[in-house]
Amino acid sequence: MRKDWDVIVIGAGPAGLAAAAAACDAGAGVCLVERESRPGGILKQCIHDGFGLVRYGEKLTGPEYAWRDIEAVRRRNIPIWTETFLLELQRAGDGFVLTMQNREQAVFQLTARALVAATGCRERTARQIFIHGQRPAGIYTAGTVQHMINIQGYLPGRRCVILGSGDIGLIMARRLVLEGARVEGVYEIKPEPSGLTRNLVQCLQDYNIPLHLSTTVTRVLGRERVEGVVVCPADENLRPLPDRGRIVPCDTLVLSVGLIPENDILEPLGVELNPRTGGPVVDQRLAANVPGLFSCGNALHVNDLVDYVSESGEIAGRAAAAYALGRTQPPNHAELVPEGDILYAVPGRLDLAAGGKAVVYLRANRTIGNARLTISAGDKTVLRKRYPVLRPPEMERIVLDLADLPAGAGAVKLSLRGEENG
Amino acid sequence: MANIRAVQKALDALGIGKLEARPWRRSVVLEGRVRTWQDYIRAGYAAAGKGFKGVVNDIEVEGLEREREYIPPVRDNTLEGKQFDVIVIGGGVIGCAIARELTRWQLRVAVLEKEDDVAKQTSSRNNGMIHPGIAPARGTKKLHYNILGNRMYTQAARELGFALERCGSLILLEKSWYRLLAPLAKQQALQKGVDGVILLSRREVFRREPYATPAQRGGVLLPSAGVVAPYDVTVAFAENAVENGAQVFLHTMVQGFAMEHDRIARVLTNRGRIRAKVVVNAAGVWADKVAGWANDRFFTIHGRKGTIAILDKKTRAYQSGVLAMPRLGSKAHTKGGGINPTVEGNLLMGPNAVEVPWREDWSTGPEDMEFLLSRHLPLNTRLRPGDIITYFAGVRACTFEEDFVVEPSEYVANLVHAAGIQSPGLAAAPAIARDVAEMAVKLLSGVMEVRPNPRFNPVRRPNPRLTDLSLEERALLIRSNPAYGRIVCRCEAVSEGEIVAAVKSPVPALSVDAVKRRVRAGMGRCQGGFCTPAVLDILARETGVPPTRVVKGRPGSELVLAPTKEPGEGSADA
Amino acid sequence: MAKELICIQCPQGCRLQVSGRGEGLKVRGNKCARGIAYAGKELTNPSRTLTTTVRTCFPDFPVLPVRTRGEVPLARIFACMEEINAVRVERRLRPGDVVLDRLAGTGVPLIATADMGEGKAVYH
Repeated sequence: MRKDWDVIVIGAGPAGLAAAAAACDAGAGVCLVERESRPGGILKQCIHDGFGLVRYGEKLTGPEYAWRDIEAVRRRNIPIWTETFLLELQRAGDGFVLTMQNREQAVFQLTARALVAATGCRERTARQIFIHGQRPAGIYTAGTVQHMINIQGYLPGRRCVILGSGDIGLIMARRLVLEGARVEGVYEIKPEPSGLTRNLVQCLQDYNIPLHLSTTVTRVLGRERVEGVVVCPADENLRPLPDRGRIVPCDTLVLSVGLIPENDILEPLGVELNPRTGGPVVDQRLAANVPGLFSCGNALHVNDLVDYVSESGEIAGRAAAAYALGRTQPPNHAELVPEGDILYAVPGRLDLAAGGKAVVYLRANRTIGNARLTISAGDKTVLRKRYPVLRPPEMERIVLDLADLPAGAGAVKLSLRGEENG
Repeated sequence: MANIRAVQKALDALGIGKLEARPWRRSVVLEGRVRTWQDYIRAGYAAAGKGFKGVVNDIEVEGLEREREYIPPVRDNTLEGKQFDVIVIGGGVIGCAIARELTRWQLRVAVLEKEDDVAKQTSSRNNGMIHPGIAPARGTKKLHYNILGNRMYTQAARELGFALERCGSLILLEKSWYRLLAPLAKQQALQKGVDGVILLSRREVFRREPYATPAQRGGVLLPSAGVVAPYDVTVAFAENAVENGAQVFLHTMVQGFAMEHDRIARVLTNRGRIRAKVVVNAAGVWADKVAGWANDRFFTIHGRKGTIAILDKKTRAYQSGVLAMPRLGSKAHTKGGGINPTVEGNLLMGPNAVEVPWREDWSTGPEDMEFLLSRHLPLNTRLRPGDIITYFAGVRACTFEEDFVVEPSEYVANLVHAAGIQSPGLAAAPAIARDVAEMAVKLLSGVMEVRPNPRFNPVRRPNPRLTDLSLEERALLIRSNPAYGRIVCRCEAVSEGEIVAAVKSPVPALSVDAVKRRVRAGMGRCQGGFCTPAVLDILARETGVPPTRVVKGRPGSELVLAPTKEPGEGSADA
Repeated sequence: MAKELICIQCPQGCRLQVSGRGEGLKVRGNKCARGIAYAGKELTNPSRTLTTTVRTCFPDFPVLPVRTRGEVPLARIFACMEEINAVRVERRLRPGDVVLDRLAGTGVPLIATADMGEGKAVYH
């Protein structure tokens, strides 16, 4: 059993699989660590289609998309430690020591020069959005419902209310209906839906599932099992108006109210996190502030398309390999400063020494029309782009050539300005 | 001296309608009608402290919806005709601790619990504080049992294998002139028997708690204060009792007594009529109802709800011990609450205190969270609302006299009360249990010979917990049983082996919540989002029921309702 | 009579007003030509790729994700589900393997989308 690796990738979801393949192609010795029994990450349960349009030019289901990545890793003979749980992550010398456990090896350690954290994200829960009442059975996050239906073959409820119009919520609405449950409605506290238009049409309209905007769930009724929920209209500041609440009978409340990148395992390393994204602050190589640590996928920031997750995995895997093999220069960082209508942008800094092209992902903080994006350093504008419309659920991707930046640029400004309700 | 006229006068002075007080035995009974629950509570307190043994508050509240008390949906005769020496009613921390004490003697002991598990009500719905004993007034049972119980925890933790962390409690002073009172408080504490009191200056407070609120002007440190996981403690008492021969009957609700003269002849339950030589009333929020069946209802329990928020484990680094800042002028029974660590490495915030007419209503409301956020969160400047991972509520079983009722009944020959046990009831539990067991044995001595149990073993061998083990111990355990190698709950790093062990333990965990209370699976940041489906399958496999019968807690709390597809007739051409 | 449709060919989500049929199809609100094609299809014969699961006889893989190879008429989705729910897979399949040849009279095959494999032995 090989103990010393150039690169270890934590998490064998789409980001990790892509990172491992890229690191291998760049000449690094790489292995994957995965806590579940099969690789593929959350894609295993995302049985709907629509994945891969950007990367493969075709519409794949989640398992099909994952399968391509798994096959790519298998062809390269990259080992995957499945059902293996990372207990401790420590720096040692100029590398890392990973202490892990699984059934076969009990407790064992691997070392790596570079680490790619591809740990994905978790779902926000009912209590975290302050839904009150008792705690009966039948309150689930959309991902849990998805696992129960698509992996285990269990129907969690017969009469469901869905809170949150994020894509998983919309997709689970359709999935529940297809499996014989009734969906009373999808409730969204914001005045506009969070999910992709495609899903609004094909998951809700196709099945006559009502969408209630500016409405939220404030209370769960029932003692042993959910018996209903109280739904309330919300004002423009997203505050529920309790006087106008009404009861919707149901046996299940499904929550699709946001995702939180999981980086808890990295905290002992002293990783710097971006409070906006919940992921590490990285440069265009997706290198975090801890030397040799790289981040990608939904652990870096929550993506809307898996294609971008894979792309970030490739970038991180390649960069981790270069680092591990001693092919990188000491970094020369310039901050990438978002301005105007930007909710967040990744990366947060640019390594001018590394050069090359930087893939920048960004989200608008509101729906805007006729939006103008400019990237400038000092007096020099290096990129201009226009968008007819930008919505927060949809991530934008731009490519910036660092060669266009003036030498010695201290900070690079990323500015987005648009018109309301474009 | 009991003064019925003083009670009547106090009731009249409230101006909330025509209320009557009449003496009954050594207690006072209140009757009449009021408009609100708050009025009901005010009347109860107005009658307290007037020299009566207890306040029985039978005042009606207009339009108040009767509580839908939980009744287990089980009807069988499995316990019909059984005989025990002692029946303990209630499987909370008090009942289980009493049962364990009783097994020091050669007795047939049964704990009857109507819920699906032990520690289901107040015993799992509190902040796990082992109070130092500074709060109760001198001369009260609360103080007596708190001081003793606090000391007994060190040995109990060692014997029973539950975690106890004497992290100390720091009471912050809000105004600088409080410091003038501080030496007085110290003297009082020492007179009460509190083990250790240290006065801290503002700077010393910051040295100990760098993130304490800048509003503090010094503090009183009580090093004997500690924390435990209250459900762990209850389960530990219950398991050790079972290991020593006691029996725990779940889903078993006492619904009355068959009396013969001044004795309880039979205990009537949903599973049959049981004979017992002595009955212990440790029925928590329903202890007054149980007393009533023996015509010994000399106190009324009223529920006081407290909501507690659980903060993410990363916050544990921001605080070393318990922090509280009581407001001057708030009543003794409402001042509690603060921020305290847990033995599992979280911080807890709360509880608040709200009088509620329903004793089993554990719902939370936005007003409770607003209170915690405005009142408690600022005690530690590093904490943010986003650190809250979940919150829960519990109901304290309070009497209007605000003291524990720990005594043999004055009128029923074979009944012992352990009632009105609210804060600091958890801290007091070992001491209460020792006394109540002695009371029961004394009563039994009149009707039988009671001998010590030669096989009593106070030491429980708890199931291994991976997070408590060194890496070497962990490796050994996994090699001996690979199920410990598979992590099921990723947030709390709980293995399949631990869950299986909990299902097979002396008081088996048979629901998702029971598993959670035993091994913490589902208690972490994702709140069971990832592990609930896996725990469901493990429970189905280990208990031999279909997944559709696996419950979250009580019967009727099934997690999944059906398989997605009825088994097909035809098969694929594959 | 005009019908409202949201075009889902790209994230812009143009709101289309559609009237007429066939040759007489009139589409307004579209910002590009794809909107016209989309409207025509949606009006005459809306069809979708159906993704769901089928039962298997393997306890480690109780349900297998499947999809239709091609689209089936929206109106036939529940008929398809009925037929799919009767299936029980008795062989370990891989993505692309056919589960049903012709689904509910649509002529569209149903194929596996996941690799049932033998579990972890494959991975290291």
